[in-house]
Amino acid sequence: MPAAPLLELDAVRIRHSGATRPTPDGVSLDVRAGEVVLLLGPSGCGKSTLTLALDGLVPHAVAAELAGTVRVAGLDTREHPVAELSEHVAMVFQDPDAQVVTGSVLDEVAFGPENLLLPAETVLERAERALKLVGLWDRRDDNPDVLSGGGRQRLAIACALALASPVLVLDEPTANLDPAGIDEVYAVLRELANERDHAIVLVEHNLDSAVDIVDRVVVLDAAGRVVADGPVAEVLRGRAEELASLGVWLPVSTLAGMRLREAGVPMATLPLTPSELAAALEAVDSLPAPVPEVAERVEGALASARSASEPASAAHPPAITVRGCSVRRGGRRGPVVVDEVDLDVASGDFLAIVGTNGAGKTTLVQAIAGVIPAPRGTVDVLGMDPSSATARERARRIGFVFQNPEHQFVAHTVADELDLGFRLQGVPDDERAAEIERVLHRFGLGELRDQHPFLLSGGQKRRLSVGTALVAGAPVLVLDEPTFGQDRARASELLDILGRLNAEGTTVIIVTHDLQLVADHANRVAVMQGGRIIGVGPTGEVLAGPLIEAAGLRHPPLARATRSLVRHPEWQQVTRMSQLPRPGRAAA
Amino acid sequence: MSTAASTVAASRNPYAEQAPVHPARFLHRLNPLGKLAAPLPAMILIVFTRDLATPLAFAVLALVLLFVGARLPAPTVAALVVGTPVGVAILGVTFGVWVDASRLDGASAAASVVLIEVGDWRFTLAAYLVGLTTALRVAAIVLLSLIAGLTTTGPELVRALVQNLRVPYRLGYTALAALRFVPRFRHELDVIRAAHRVRGIDTGRGPVAAVRRSISYAVPLLASAIRHAERVALAMEARAFGAHDTRTERIASRWRPRDSAFVALFWLVTAAIVWWGLLVV
Repeated sequence: MPAAPLLELDAVRIRHSGATRPTPDGVSLDVRAGEVVLLLGPSGCGKSTLTLALDGLVPHAVAAELAGTVRVAGLDTREHPVAELSEHVAMVFQDPDAQVVTGSVLDEVAFGPENLLLPAETVLERAERALKLVGLWDRRDDNPDVLSGGGRQRLAIACALALASPVLVLDEPTANLDPAGIDEVYAVLRELANERDHAIVLVEHNLDSAVDIVDRVVVLDAAGRVVADGPVAEVLRGRAEELASLGVWLPVSTLAGMRLREAGVPMATLPLTPSELAAALEAVDSLPAPVPEVAERVEGALASARSASEPASAAHPPAITVRGCSVRRGGRRGPVVVDEVDLDVASGDFLAIVGTNGAGKTTLVQAIAGVIPAPRGTVDVLGMDPSSATARERARRIGFVFQNPEHQFVAHTVADELDLGFRLQGVPDDERAAEIERVLHRFGLGELRDQHPFLLSGGQKRRLSVGTALVAGAPVLVLDEPTFGQDRARASELLDILGRLNAEGTTVIIVTHDLQLVADHANRVAVMQGGRIIGVGPTGEVLAGPLIEAAGLRHPPLARATRSLVRHPEWQQVTRMSQLPRPGRAAA
Repeated sequence: MSTAASTVAASRNPYAEQAPVHPARFLHRLNPLGKLAAPLPAMILIVFTRDLATPLAFAVLALVLLFVGARLPAPTVAALVVGTPVGVAILGVTFGVWVDASRLDGASAAASVVLIEVGDWRFTLAAYLVGLTTALRVAAIVLLSLIAGLTTTGPELVRALVQNLRVPYRLGYTALAALRFVPRFRHELDVIRAAHRVRGIDTGRGPVAAVRRSISYAVPLLASAIRHAERVALAMEARAFGAHDTRTERIASRWRPRDSAFVALFWLVTAAIVWWGLLVV
């Protein structure tokens, strides 16, 4: 049925004011009713910018030049205001907090239709329908602030639905959410995709959640040009190698499938989801043995996995010892957020602390690093009690990186930012220059020494914040959700840096929601729930065991595929990519 | 956890539709503009009074109105009953200390009663009385403004401004959205403070260090504030904000005869109190 396309893009080129080249660059595509389109591309290719052009925010509200034409339901976006176009295209943005404008869930959903001057009864009808669809009708009188991240993002979807536009555009809707929130949002999106009432355009880096609701994929390259446009199976399965080389992130199951294929495991079609990967593995008669993890680590950690209070490892002295640590938030009468926690971190460990939102992860690491006071004598970092040490003493032993790197910057240039740290440590003037040089070089910031820290790119800011935390030579580095709101490419770049630091002897502790990153980088995992640590152990063991589900989390994609394998029991413990057999070592 | 949070929040979400109140609590049923307009002449007149009786009478009037006409939570009632006299007494001393002794009537009886004497400097009863009057004027003005303040929610006020006073809705609703930024920025500031503390750069003491510290907090705070405001603006525009000259009002804000009556009566009482105040002096 050749219905007229809802969106028609013809040679769309968008150049942000101040940018030298346009991204996207010459994108032409049509979106028709009922289609679910996933927009992919490496960071900086202009995916988000393109979504802003779909309802006229580019060029009307964002300072950017638009060349080519965007037609929404036949209307040229350049000639029609955003408000008019919003009747045809509704948007959901990345940050759930930055989309709330009123004080109650019901008012929020009514806001759009009210702006469209619909009669009050219609407004209420639409609000009710939209809220029921996303499961928030019972919470209509609540302040949006008390909803969880996933709840607020579902609210944003309800607000978009209430506009009754045939096209729904979502720009990284789950990037700021924890795994539970991601599931909530995708449950709603799956329902919408099944109803086929809406065309959905989705930008998403979390492909493992998105891939099974999508039917078409459009891929941009780094220059912002369309390199692939077609059905999911054709693009993601058929051209996986090509996409990977462009810097496009692929579903973990597909990446695993590619590696297995290289290793000689027969795989007729590349899997896209964990269940497809599991089916493909079950179909094979014999699999090569997975690469074992480094044995020494497993042994050392196995002993401590049984009891969290035993010393972590006999081979390595403890870097951090936490005993009976309880912390309240907001003063003496505030709620207990960390409850009688015992934790040992051996020096040289790469520990990931995981748990749902509100489990107390951030509070615990802040107490360990002395950001917030812990009761005296409950925390020991290399012989220092952070609650009674001075800032300078703390900085020598433990570095802390906040979620938003900008919060920590105080100087006007990158070099000054590092200089400040050295000066606080009392490094003499003549040695500082060389030291700064060393850190700049090490974090790939050499050419940016005179740049203002706030003008760096997201990845550069993150590297600088890690650099400043390590200036004092701290052997322990703590990072609070360092991958929050970032795409996979940037997240894995940071994790690679952390991996290198760890290999050189730095003890690393990260708080994160991304369990596949945990699986691929951490050697130990602590699982938190309700302010308590419900288990600590080597990564493979924790991820393969029941703790993850007990804490209300979901297994990372690779573990989901391997856990249920029947024909290959030796593969059930495979959770990290590095455990997959390498090319040339495959069994015949 | 989430259900507990929702019940707590529902009971004190100022933005949600308010539960119906007892008819006797009439202040909640008046138009916010009326509650603002009624005490306005009194608030201006109080600025020019010099006696004790007039501000005292207005303070009592405001308190009586609040206790009768408003549904107040117990802590607020306690704060008003205890806090007002204590606050006035203390504020009276601090204001009194600043009174220029040479401008007091040295012949009056109160001027000869010395309350505190430090070297050459004397704090006389006359000075305290002047301070007390000033404090009482401040208290009366604050209490009068609470008549609207404690019985009106932000959305109610915006609705009244837009519907009854014809303030452009783009202004009103944008201001309401901006109000939501406040707690967010407060949290953000806390995090920035902690981040700077961790880096060991807030160690200086004294006013110079404090100013420098504030500046170093301001940069990241402003950067994130601007970014947040831009995002909110995009989200509002994407939801058709500003599409038409008016927008649907689901809840009508009316100016009823009772609002006119309240304002007229209040103005009459105001005139009576001021007249009585002049007679007393």
